[in-house]
Amino acid sequence: MILLVPALALFIVACGGDDDGGGGGDDGGGSSDEPIKIGFLSTCEGAFGAFYEATAGGFNVPLIQRGAEPVSDTPSDGVEGAEIAGRPVEVVGYGCSDETPEVAVNEARRLVEQEGADILVGPLSGDEGIAIANYAKEQPDKTFVNGAAGAQDATLKVQAPNFFRFHTDGAQWSAGVGEYAVEELGWKRAAVIGDDYSFAQTSAGGFIADFCANGGEVVKRIWPSLGETDYSSFIAQIPDNIDGIYTAIGGEGLISFINQYIEQKGPIEPDEMIGNLFVDDPIVLKEIGEEVVGVTVSGNTAADATGPDVEEYLDRLSVYPEVAEAGASVFVYHYYGAMEAVAKAIEQLDGDISDVEKFHETLANMELTGPEAPYGDVRLDENRQAISDNYIKQVVPGEGGKPPTVKTIARVPQVDQQFGGAFTPDTPSPDRKNPECKDYDLPWEGKLEPVDFESGESGE
Amino acid sequence: MATSAPEPLSAGIEAPGRLRQPKQVIGGAVAALVAGWLIVKAVGNFGGFLNATLLGLTLAGLYFVVASGFTLIFGLMRTINMAHGSLYLLGGYIAFELQEKLFSDNKGGFELSIGQSSGETQYSTIEWLVPLLIAALAMGVLGVLIYQLLLRWNQGQELRQALITIAVIIIAGDQMLAHFGGVAKDIKLPASWPTSVDIPLIGSFGFFRLTIVLGSAILVGLLLWWMIKRTRFGLITRAGVDDRDMVSALGINIPLVFAAAFFIGSLLAGFGGVLGGSMLSLQPGQDSAFLLNSLVVVIIGGMGSLGGAAVGAVALGLVQAYGASYLVFGGTDLTNYSILLTFGLVVAVLAVRPYGLFGRPA
Repeated sequence: MILLVPALALFIVACGGDDDGGGGGDDGGGSSDEPIKIGFLSTCEGAFGAFYEATAGGFNVPLIQRGAEPVSDTPSDGVEGAEIAGRPVEVVGYGCSDETPEVAVNEARRLVEQEGADILVGPLSGDEGIAIANYAKEQPDKTFVNGAAGAQDATLKVQAPNFFRFHTDGAQWSAGVGEYAVEELGWKRAAVIGDDYSFAQTSAGGFIADFCANGGEVVKRIWPSLGETDYSSFIAQIPDNIDGIYTAIGGEGLISFINQYIEQKGPIEPDEMIGNLFVDDPIVLKEIGEEVVGVTVSGNTAADATGPDVEEYLDRLSVYPEVAEAGASVFVYHYYGAMEAVAKAIEQLDGDISDVEKFHETLANMELTGPEAPYGDVRLDENRQAISDNYIKQVVPGEGGKPPTVKTIARVPQVDQQFGGAFTPDTPSPDRKNPECKDYDLPWEGKLEPVDFESGESGE
Repeated sequence: MATSAPEPLSAGIEAPGRLRQPKQVIGGAVAALVAGWLIVKAVGNFGGFLNATLLGLTLAGLYFVVASGFTLIFGLMRTINMAHGSLYLLGGYIAFELQEKLFSDNKGGFELSIGQSSGETQYSTIEWLVPLLIAALAMGVLGVLIYQLLLRWNQGQELRQALITIAVIIIAGDQMLAHFGGVAKDIKLPASWPTSVDIPLIGSFGFFRLTIVLGSAILVGLLLWWMIKRTRFGLITRAGVDDRDMVSALGINIPLVFAAAFFIGSLLAGFGGVLGGSMLSLQPGQDSAFLLNSLVVVIIGGMGSLGGAAVGAVALGLVQAYGASYLVFGGTDLTNYSILLTFGLVVAVLAVRPYGLFGRPA
């Protein structure tokens, strides 16, 4: 009797408020005075909620660049008077998910089916990305441009013809770092710890493939759930007899993880940890930078990069000073690149996107260069997945009281999603056990290009 | 047809007697297996085993602080205060907000930051204790208000009271989300406290978990025990658990005692929220998570029993810690399923003792 009540209560709590979207969409994009409707989808709750304004800022800037006015200092308040190629552009909504695929699809439905968005830019995180790519198949006449979600499956497996990703995926962000671990840090045995979901497993998968291809051995893979608050039991599982740990923990959890890691294992030995892009995200470095100085990281941005393209990019971002400071954050950079690609495609068609097939073809052939992609030119492969550069970096102390930043060590030029055949549509998706640790044949083995931005070696 | 009827009937009568034996055998076998497996693991890596045990115990400390308030209210009133988890989370959020507003050097306003605001501010011990005290007291008062405004006029109608407090969870959960946002927040610990302490065989271990959380749990346990065994309030509480009607017939002001129980129970939820917000973090969903933890603890220990809450908390903490460390069999890593062990524990306890380890029929 007594147990009935809690069961009922938990049932109700678990099912707490979600609402269904419905209703027909209208097909816009026809005549030239009708606005082109664009929906924005990111996450404002959960492990990545803190990146919401960063993504909205990156998304708004290409519109502002084309004459729109920001409504306020807060990016998600929107922009006014946006126009691309003479066509008015309306942002129909700034959608907010909580990193779960259900909520992301609900929000996408609201923006596309109720608010009538022709183009959706988003979402932010891995599982959401796979769900939205699948949803894209339901809406063949709409256009979906990924925001910052980095799970491999969204493009490699789902292959929706109207889903485009103008940034490299989680595995590509690890290209070269396994070789660096073996050759420069002297790692032979490593453990991997990451969030138990598609992006972190893609990110760790890239490291595992790269590390094992160079003769390393991954002895343990630990997967705490995304949004975990107590990592102590998981940290206790890290074996002692390893040369280093690769961390693919993201968002809020990373702060708890680093603090609890230091609590249990003492200060971080820089040569014994490699982090994925979350570790050197400028927004995260503000919080835990001091603790991770010296740690190696990899990803497709380079905060210390110089040169006219980077300067132009940061100048464009400067309408939102906070966002400009985090210009090398993938959350700013990827949403910026996504919106830039959309805007360029509309311009190439002189504002007439009524022929959806033509619009999709234009996007598929789009290349981002110069200030549109200051950290490395972007083009798409046959699955509409970006091929671009990757960087090996080290966290270094900030100058003059600023938070720590990174110093770029090496570049891996034009990394492809399939790792030269290690990942194909037929290989198992990265998960708790995959990819296997074996000798893959990677195109960039032994070809890391040393980079030193400080000496003016920007070499685009 | 009529002739065949008695057979299944008699078989049905005999069945309970026959079934009791296998149930105990299975229970014993499972317990022996678990114990053997833990011993093997402990011998293999004793430091690691001690570490897991200590992690479990510190987690148990947090669960106990929260669940002891829950079981106190239930013991006296037979009311399951479903909003207990909401009081936990709100208590933590209030302490966080107070620490930010009163003591932070941060200017506020729009800033891109993850989780909490700048990590620059160094807080002193007082700047941690004051928010703790205010938040805990505020939750105590809020608990009394919930009792006076929502529950008092439904005295004796347990199901209705439970449903009202479920409504409180949902409303409070959405209000907290609207006000505090969906991003996790940490209550900052005093800068003068060490991060970790060195323990022989284990190495470093979190200072806050070990001393403050575990110490608070022991202190709360002792204070509650003294209150229940040695004070007039405790006397009435114990009598009320056994026969509430008789207690009120003796002229004791039951509403006052109930309000006091709600005050103390809710205060403990708020106190737990501040401990949890400092040790882990505060985010939406933890209200129901800690309601679930408290339910599991008191269901294992027995509703209304303080000792039961302590045993239940230790059982839950240890099962979670061992589950996360030791569910590896050769190449098969099942640690992701360790959450299932928690419910396995509940099922096992209820199969053997339907009222929990220390519980009695209401």
